[in-house]
Amino acid sequence: MREILRARGLRKSFGAVEAVRGVDITVREGEVVGLLGPNGAGKTTILRMIAGILAPDSGDVTIDSIALASDPLAAKQRIGFHSGDTQLYQRLTPREALLYFGRLYGMPEAALLEAIERLVAELEMAGFASRPCRTLSAGQKQRANIARAFLHKPDLLILDEPTTALDVVSGRFIVEAIRKEKSAGRAVLFSTHLMGEAEYLCDRIALLHEGRIVDEGTLPELLERSGCTNLTDAFLKGIGYAA
Amino acid sequence: MRWRILRTVYLKELREALRDRRTLFIMVGLPILLYPLALIGMSKLQESQEAAQSARVSKVAVWGTLPEGLEERVCGKPEKFECQRWQGAPAAIRAGLEQGKFPAPSRLPPDLDDIEPEKRPKPNLEDPVVKSAQQAILNRETDAVVILWTGFSSQVRGEGAAASTVLFDSVRPESVKARDRLSDQLRLYREDLRAKREQARGLPEGFARGVDIQAVNVAPAKRRSGMLIGVLLPYLLIAFSVMGAFYATIDMTAGEKERGTMQTLLCAPLEPLEIIGGKFMAAWSLTMISTLINIFSLAATFSRVKMIPGVEITGSSGSYVVALFLLLPITAMATALFLAIGAFAKDFKEGQSYLTPALMGLIMPLMLTMAPGMELNRYLAFVPVVNIALLIKQLFLAEWSADLLFIVLLSSFCYAALALVFATRVFERNNLLLGGKETLGSLLDFRRGVGGRPSPGLAIFLFAGSLVLLFYGSLLFENRGMATVLLVTEYGFLLLPAIVLAGVQRFDWRETFSLRMPSWRAIGAAVLIGISGWTVGAGLLIRLLPPPESLVKALEKILMIEDRTMPLWAAWLLVAVTPALCEELLFRGFIQSGFQRAGKWAAIGGAGFLFALAHASIYRLLPTLFLGVLFGYAVWQTRSVFTGAICHMLNNGLMVTVARSPETARELGISGTRYLPWGIIAAGVAVLLAGILLLPREESAPTT
Repeated sequence: MREILRARGLRKSFGAVEAVRGVDITVREGEVVGLLGPNGAGKTTILRMIAGILAPDSGDVTIDSIALASDPLAAKQRIGFHSGDTQLYQRLTPREALLYFGRLYGMPEAALLEAIERLVAELEMAGFASRPCRTLSAGQKQRANIARAFLHKPDLLILDEPTTALDVVSGRFIVEAIRKEKSAGRAVLFSTHLMGEAEYLCDRIALLHEGRIVDEGTLPELLERSGCTNLTDAFLKGIGYAA
Repeated sequence: MRWRILRTVYLKELREALRDRRTLFIMVGLPILLYPLALIGMSKLQESQEAAQSARVSKVAVWGTLPEGLEERVCGKPEKFECQRWQGAPAAIRAGLEQGKFPAPSRLPPDLDDIEPEKRPKPNLEDPVVKSAQQAILNRETDAVVILWTGFSSQVRGEGAAASTVLFDSVRPESVKARDRLSDQLRLYREDLRAKREQARGLPEGFARGVDIQAVNVAPAKRRSGMLIGVLLPYLLIAFSVMGAFYATIDMTAGEKERGTMQTLLCAPLEPLEIIGGKFMAAWSLTMISTLINIFSLAATFSRVKMIPGVEITGSSGSYVVALFLLLPITAMATALFLAIGAFAKDFKEGQSYLTPALMGLIMPLMLTMAPGMELNRYLAFVPVVNIALLIKQLFLAEWSADLLFIVLLSSFCYAALALVFATRVFERNNLLLGGKETLGSLLDFRRGVGGRPSPGLAIFLFAGSLVLLFYGSLLFENRGMATVLLVTEYGFLLLPAIVLAGVQRFDWRETFSLRMPSWRAIGAAVLIGISGWTVGAGLLIRLLPPPESLVKALEKILMIEDRTMPLWAAWLLVAVTPALCEELLFRGFIQSGFQRAGKWAAIGGAGFLFALAHASIYRLLPTLFLGVLFGYAVWQTRSVFTGAICHMLNNGLMVTVARSPETARELGISGTRYLPWGIIAAGVAVLLAGILLLPREESAPTT
């Protein structure tokens, strides 16, 4: 399978705090890789560096063989980024916001309009797609945000805790949407606190602690290496938390 | 930068801002409702207070005995005065005045308007009579006190000078009104008395008066109106316009951070310049809309308020249009500055607290422009904000000059460019835009990797910075003689910043400054262009906008270097070789290579235009633009800055030779003529064309 994301030796410090200490990640076509870690482990910083939002202090990122550092625009063109804490423009409607981002990604107008209508139907947004974003519920906002990340059919989806603060129904809806993208052959890099989500979605899981990947593999590999019977215990053991 | 993306960001920002009630209120609501209501309300209040004062009967305490004639004038006019005899006078003071114990004050010198206030005689407030009167007025027992000193009536009868004093409180309008009324009646009484005395003595009318003085204000109503608008309008207009940028820019920076939408923009395939460019254009558009509404509103308001009795406050519509145009650079600067500062704030509230001092910093200097006697001059023309305010003032007084207008616009656009470069650097810091901390030092850190050439933004930054430095720096040396000024400005303020910036940025020296030896053919072409270019510039283009005599004299002063005895070779070194080296390395070197990525003609035209602007005169704009483009073309075709330097040196050298050698001018047939003869122009054009044709035909500029 084609390597969509290849990150090597990523490091990032904020002042005296070393947030990421040499991280390697690879995600292939049609693969979902989960980043699992406690608060402050460096998940968001890693995802932001891979998305081209933050520049790493050292290390390289390539998206579909395009180096992010030397050709950021072409690399970003292949990425769809969504974070649980990002918002859409409060005074625009989801439809207007999607139109705006589609144009920023250089989508042809006809294809853009068609993609918006398809996503509005697929993500069941018809009831609120023409209402200002400030009037939407958290779940509706999250769907609109997911639609923005999926809009330009990126090769790599980077999702930072996309179901944070959502109720079970909305969360499940987002998870199913991600599965569909995986089925369509997209590579997905995904961070979460929820073990169930990781077990359900991820082909491979990387356990992150204090800016380092402490273990990585498929769910059976992680369980076998840790000697645990479930991901939660394997995770706690992996980060050195004695159960 | 992709224009399509810039337009998309611009339209989205504009749409969002126009849906924000707060921005709309500041932009439209305040100018249409609040300002007119406040100004008209204040004016009406003032009018009604004046009417109330006029209708009110003044309470005046009379301490002393009113002689016949004056009695009727003060106590016989119940519609004006309520005559209060001895009101508030303590018994001892009354007795003292009646018995002549308090002598009249010695005669005061004439109350001349031209005497400085601090040199005017001050009343003795410790005098017991004055102190008692002061107490009566401050206790509001009366509005004013008139003291008729002992012997007032006998002096009137005996043809002496009777002494009186009017005491009042300048803080209370009714007291001032009572003073005015009393003084008027005393003066009229004096006139009557003088006429009677002249008549009694058989003297001709006017004998005692001697001289009649009448001061006539010759300022027509339009000028008085212009003065008032000129003082008030710049302050109000700039303050209100800049306020228009205030909320829009906070919303686009700190507001966007607070709402968590900045991250989505940063992960999109956009260049920082496209983000800041779109936001800047949107915020600037909103500011200019706000400015336009403010201008309409203020013009309409001024015509309604009665600020000068009997004068309608109107300005010509042309003046308002030019005022709007003049606000372009100042609003651009404020918008860019606010965007940059707003990006440091985490939320809207923090944005307000960061931007308020910046807003005050822009508005406070405007108070200076309201001071009487503050007029635009070549020093103030480079002071940001103040220069535009003073220019608008002169505009409404119809006293502006094209050259000062040009310098003000030039300097203001330079400041706007610097602010925009600063804003762009801020928007290159993603960590800052995501809510992280960045020091000011990191924003000013220009270190880059080895190699490469300057960007267009850096080229504009260098130009704007050098020009500001050139202006303020040259002021320090202006008394050191022309030669010192020339050397310091050329090497210190034009060449040195370019070299330092290229060194700090670690640019490729050869590429940045086009440091290549030209071929013999290129040298030949440069010689032909150098000796002929001036005939088109000084011969043809100067006819389109003839310079004033003062500019011609100033140029002659430069060419003569204030020293006719200086050998010609030394004059060449100063006026020809030095500018050729310094200006070519800056404009055809750093700046033209900075614009290179925009394409051949944009680079040549851009550098040529900035070269023309740097000569800081609207009359020299066309000739220097022509020469700048010509030299730029020569450098582009030959890839050598030395080609431009040869052209420049010969161009200046010929002018300095002609200026210093009347024989040469006579031989050329240009002595005493205002314009070059057509024959010389035709010959010059032919040589110039030959020079251009001799330049290498193939474009040999390096790839971008």
